[in-house]
Formats: sequence, C-alpha cells, structure tokens
Amino acid sequence: MKLPILTIIMTTIFTGTMLTMISSHWLLIWIGLEINMLSIIPILTKNQKPRSTEAATKYFLTQATASMLLMFTIVFNAMHSGQWTTTNIDPNNMIVSLTMIIALTMKLGMTPFHFWVPEVTQGVSLMTGMLLLTWQKLAPISIMMQMFTSINPIILLLIALMSVLVGGWGGLNQTQLRKILAYSSIAHMGWMMAILTFCPSLTMLNLLIYLMLTIIMFTMLNMNTNMTTLTLSNLWNKSPTITMMILISLLSLGGLPPLTGFLPKWIIIQELTKNNNIAMATVMAIMALLNLYFYMRLIYSTSLTLFPTPNNIKMKWQFQPKKRSLFLSPLIILSTLTLPLSPVLSTLN
Amino acid sequence: MLKIIIPTIMLFPVIWYSNSTMIWINMTSCSLMINLMTLPLLNQAGNNSNNFSLTFFSDSLSSPLLMLTVWLLPLMIMASQHHLMKESPTRKKLYLSMLISLQMFLIMTFSATELILFYILFEATLIPTLIIITRWGNQTERLNAGLYFLFYTLIGSLPLLVALIYVQISLGSLNYLVMNMWFQDMSSSWSSNLLWLACIMAFMVKMPLYGLHLWLPKAHVEAPIAGSMVLAAVLLKLGGYGMLRLTIILNPTTKIMAYPFIMLCLWGMIMTSSICLRQTDLKSLIAYSSVSHMALVIVAILMQTPWSFMGATALMIAHGLTSSMLFCLANSNYERIHSRTMLLARGLQAFLPLMATWWLLASLTNLALPPFINLIGELFVIMASFSWSNVTITMTGLNMLITALYSLYMLTMTQRGKFTYHIHNIKPSHTRENTLMSMHMLPLIMLTFNPKIIMGLTY
Repeated sequence: MKLPILTIIMTTIFTGTMLTMISSHWLLIWIGLEINMLSIIPILTKNQKPRSTEAATKYFLTQATASMLLMFTIVFNAMHSGQWTTTNIDPNNMIVSLTMIIALTMKLGMTPFHFWVPEVTQGVSLMTGMLLLTWQKLAPISIMMQMFTSINPIILLLIALMSVLVGGWGGLNQTQLRKILAYSSIAHMGWMMAILTFCPSLTMLNLLIYLMLTIIMFTMLNMNTNMTTLTLSNLWNKSPTITMMILISLLSLGGLPPLTGFLPKWIIIQELTKNNNIAMATVMAIMALLNLYFYMRLIYSTSLTLFPTPNNIKMKWQFQPKKRSLFLSPLIILSTLTLPLSPVLSTLN
Repeated sequence: MLKIIIPTIMLFPVIWYSNSTMIWINMTSCSLMINLMTLPLLNQAGNNSNNFSLTFFSDSLSSPLLMLTVWLLPLMIMASQHHLMKESPTRKKLYLSMLISLQMFLIMTFSATELILFYILFEATLIPTLIIITRWGNQTERLNAGLYFLFYTLIGSLPLLVALIYVQISLGSLNYLVMNMWFQDMSSSWSSNLLWLACIMAFMVKMPLYGLHLWLPKAHVEAPIAGSMVLAAVLLKLGGYGMLRLTIILNPTTKIMAYPFIMLCLWGMIMTSSICLRQTDLKSLIAYSSVSHMALVIVAILMQTPWSFMGATALMIAHGLTSSMLFCLANSNYERIHSRTMLLARGLQAFLPLMATWWLLASLTNLALPPFINLIGELFVIMASFSWSNVTITMTGLNMLITALYSLYMLTMTQRGKFTYHIHNIKPSHTRENTLMSMHMLPLIMLTFNPKIIMGLTY
C-alpha cells in the first residue's frame, strides 16, 4: 500500500480509538468505534487474497452487528434515563445492561461471540493480526472501564469464565500460530473481564501486560514470517536468541512465576478471593493451564528440542535481515522480568 | 541471607565471563566457597529462628535443607562435567546458568518468610528444571517427562495459590513468623476441608504421594545427572518443607483429613518398593526408591507428633544425600556403557573396586543401616506411626524389609558376581567421580555423630 494512503488510514484508526477513549457522550463513543472499524477494513484487505477478503467480511459483519446493538442500547438508555453519559447507566435496566455487555463483548471477541477471532486473525498478515488483537481491544475496554459500575457482574463473570474455557480448549488443536494467538487473546480477555466489576485497574494492568506480550510474540514471529508450528522449528537456524526470547515470552504469557505474566493472574485471583469468588478463581487458574499446554508445544518446537537430535526441517537460506523489530528488547524485559516490581501496583488507585 | 544469595547470583557473571577452559574450575570453586559461607547458618538457636530480615529467615527446619542445597551445587557441577564435554562453550554456560538460577530460587525458597514469596519461588524452580530435563535429556521420552513434570506440579499448586490468598485475607498476614502467633483453628466445615486439600495437594504432588507419582520416574530417568540429583535431593524436599510450614494453620482438620493420604502412603511405600525389585532400569529403580522414602516422610508429617517431625526432617536430609549419591553412581555406570540397564554391566567390583566401595556404602545407607542418619529418620517415623496406630508397623516393617531387598539386589546385580564378557573398555574411575562420591558420603557419616542439627523444629 502506498505510504500516504497507509498514513491516512492509520491516522484514522488512531483517531477512532482516541475519540472513543476521550468521550463521555455515548454518540461520540459510537462514532469513534465506527470510524475505527471502517478504517481498519482496508488494512485487513491489504493482502488482496480471497482469504483476506473473507476475514475482512467476517470482521465487518460482527463488528457492525455489535455497533448496531450498541446504538440500540444507547438510544434505549437515552429514552429511559434521559441522558447520554456513560457513567450514569442505570444498572437496574435489564435490557440496557444485557445488550450493552453483548455488544461490547462481541467487539472484544469474547465467548459466546468469539467465533470470528481465530478466523479473522488467520486470514490477515502477522502485523495486521497484531493490530487486530492489540489496538482494537483498547476502545471497547475503555468503554467497559468507564461504565463498570453498571455492568451486571453475574453475566460478565459467566462470559469471562466461558472465554477462559474456550480460549484454553480452542487453542489445543491448532498448529497455525495466528490462531493460537487468537485463542490466547480470547482467554486473556476472559481474565480481564472477570475482574472488571471488582477492580478495573487490574483490567488495565492485565491489558498492559497482555499487549506487551502479544506485540512481542507477533514481532518475533514476523522476523522469520513464521505462521505455523512447523516453520517455527527452523527459527534456531535464523537466530537462537529469538528462540530463547520466545521461550521466555510464551512462559510469561502462560502465567508462570517468576515472570511478569504471573502478576495479573495472581492479583486477579487475590481480588476475586477477597470478593468471595474462590471457586471462580480456582477454575480460571486451572483452565489457564490449557493455555500453557499449547504454549509449551510451541516452546518444544522452537528451543527445547534442538540437540542432540537434529530436527528434520530443511535449512533456511541466510539472507540479510530486513525486518525491523522496534522496541523488542525493552518490551521483552518489561514483560518477563518485572515481577519483583509488583509493589508498584500500590501506587495505582 | 544476602551473603549467600548475592554470591549465587554473581555466579552468573563468573560463568559467562570465564574462559572456556576455566568454566568448571571457576564454578566449582566459587560454589564451594558459597558452601563455606552457609555453614554458620547451621548454628541454630533451639526453638527460635534467625530472622535476617523481613523477607528471609532460617530456623532449624530450613537450615539443614539450605545446607543440602548449597552443598549439592558443586556436586552437580562436578557430575555434569563428562556429559557436557562435547558441547560448545555457550551451551555449557547455558546449562550451568540453569543450575545456578535453580540454586538461587531454591535458596530463596527455603529461607522465605512470606508464604506467597515461597509459592512464587516454589513455582519458579519449575522453569530451570524443565529446561534442564527437556533440553539436555538424552532420550525422546524427555519431552513427555517435561510435560508431566510441569503440569502435575502446576495443577497441584494453583489451588495452593488460591488457598494461600484466602488464608492471607482471613488471618491477616502470611508472614511465617507472624502466623506462628496468629494462627487459629480451622472450622470443621466442608469448605475448610477443601481449603486443607488445596493447601496440601501441591506438596503431595511434589513429594510425591503414591497416586500422583507418575511424573517422578519419567522426570528422574530422563533428566541429565545434575537434573536427577537436584530433583531427588532437593526438589522433592520442597514438598515436605512446605507441608511442615503449613501444618500450623491446618489444625485440627489434619486429624480428620489425613487418613486417605496416610493410607495411600503406607500402601504406596510397599508398592513402589516392590516395583523396585522388578526394575531393569537402574535410574528407574532409584526413582521409585525415592517415592518409597518420601512416602514415609509424608506419613510422618501428617501424623504431627514431635518425634515424627524430627524423623521427617532427618529422613529428608539423609535421603537427599543418599539418593543423589545413588544417581551419581548410576551416572558413572551410564557414562561407561551408555545404557541404564542393570544387566549389561555386572560384576563391576572386579574392575572398579573403589567405586564398588561407594556402591556398598550408598546401598547400605539406602537400606537404613545403623548408625547412619537414614536409620534415625526411619526409626523415628516408624515409632511415631506405631504409636499412632499399632497396625502400621506391619506395613512399615515390610517396607524396611523390601527396601533392604532391593538395595542389596541393586548392589549385587551391578557389583558382585561374574562380570559380563562384553565390557572390555570400562575406563577407571576418575578422581572427580571418587571426589563426588566421597563428598556425598562424608556428610552422611559425619552427621551420624551429631544428628541434632538435622532433627528440625521439635528437637
């Protein structure tokens, strides 16, 4: 895509999300979401393949449905409460709270509206998939964080639990890396939304760490344009340091102590336990192990099964490296080694 | 405590900046110096604990285990020299870095005050061990072994995390020193039974309990020698240590909930010892013997009498040294014939008499010969379990018999008898190997003269 056009589209995506995040009037929030959605469609179809067109269509249909549902909820809320601010939604209004959650979770790709996430992520290129799984989550989560007091906690907890389950079990049978990261996104969204009604700053923490880890994973996969587990096996040929970084990042994404990815899980379990949700905390923690299993499969194929037996993958021709990897080192350090910095959380409010 | 932890962390630069010829020398000498610095820790003040800071403390339970951990690092390094000979310097340094990071986590685990810190480091020891087993193991089964090891431990320990957080919210603090003053009795409801289970299952998987022991033979057999040594000697003791720490808050539910576990342990002891009698794989035999000895420790901890705690601690230290020595001996066999099958190299006493002495001593300590500390540990546990219920003497007595049987079976199979005809290029024992065995044996012998330092909390 020509650079001026790409700049305009990226600016529009940025503007859409920013508009959503800074508004307190529902109409502007909805407009921001629409701008965001419409401007990402050309990015999804950048590749000019039928698969990309299919992915863009699926994305458009689900997001448009969600936006329409959101518009319905906004108007209904305006009719019944007479005002258009996000912070004053009446939680007793059953229709509003229910459809609001449905619309926003559909935008985020949480169960039971998660079916578009793996297929859309698979149909687009790696960097576009990264944009989809990271930037596109910001706007709906910002809306949910603004209105968290009016969300029905039972429905949200149910959706979160189902997301964790689906994210764990769905990724087990995958070999395509983009689908694996899509299911990982579904599971992490589940963790984020589980704690929203109790303590939204933890949603923010989990989101930050998840964003860092996903950006790192996609960047490292983009280095060799690995799209399948099979091609990931000859990453040791290109750059063994990246295989080690993938090991650490995937272990962090799976939530193993002493890496940073453990921090959101730990604190979320703590907040859930404080609010007497012990069963939920235990079930979610154990289901996160399913996620860890397919990350372990990836780790096995990249770094842990090198020597003494050579793997039966053809060697890759060593060209000059052309792919830039901005901010990879600081992001890796931030997202894997900062668990000892967890007391800094007490400074958040 | 920092005087031990920071030198251990500084072993990383020692490794990475060493010449490729000086790696082993630097590592072994520095870790032996760390040993020397840890010795004053053994000077324990009776019932009290040395509180170094808000985060670290050491009392009569953790200091023998700490001493065992730091003693083991130079031994692991000495044992790994042979199989890492042909690797590139970077890979050698990576392997040693895994050992050092494991060491660092273990030292911090055994001296942590705050139980959540203990939990985080308890889990953190999994990652280096997983990498050592899966990356440097020798057979294809090591992949499966790594997965079993990781997931068995994690499934057990995630409920522990939730339970610890619940205890922190209800008690107010998880600092061990504070918990000693503030503990309350648990209520006798179903939910406190579940809480008890959540607290204990992690350590049961780690010990391992008989029904959950499936990861242990796999992990021990597939790991390289340093991995096997540290797994058998220290990582299993993490389970016992955790259980001993948590017994304070788990009263009186333990009296009710412990029955199935004691049953499983007593039965499992006999079962795993009997399996040892039919093993062909040498490392597998030692792994199952570990399960059997640890089952005794679990019985001791669940019975909660002063003598049983003393026996549990003594048995943990004794078994750590013995089991690690047995793995080193098995490895010396493996390095010569590249097979773990016992049948292939018999009658080794004719070729390697000094090594046969070490085999004899290791087998004797394994079967709990007086006056070694293995016997003290086992005897205290058996006496305590007899006083808890007279019937258990049948099972523990039978276990002692079968332990003696398989230890002597292992000894006579590998050392005595006519040598096999196809071993004609057994190289003589290296000084390094003899040093390794003597460094395992000397603490065992010397502790016989003063077992009170390993008797733990209730001496």
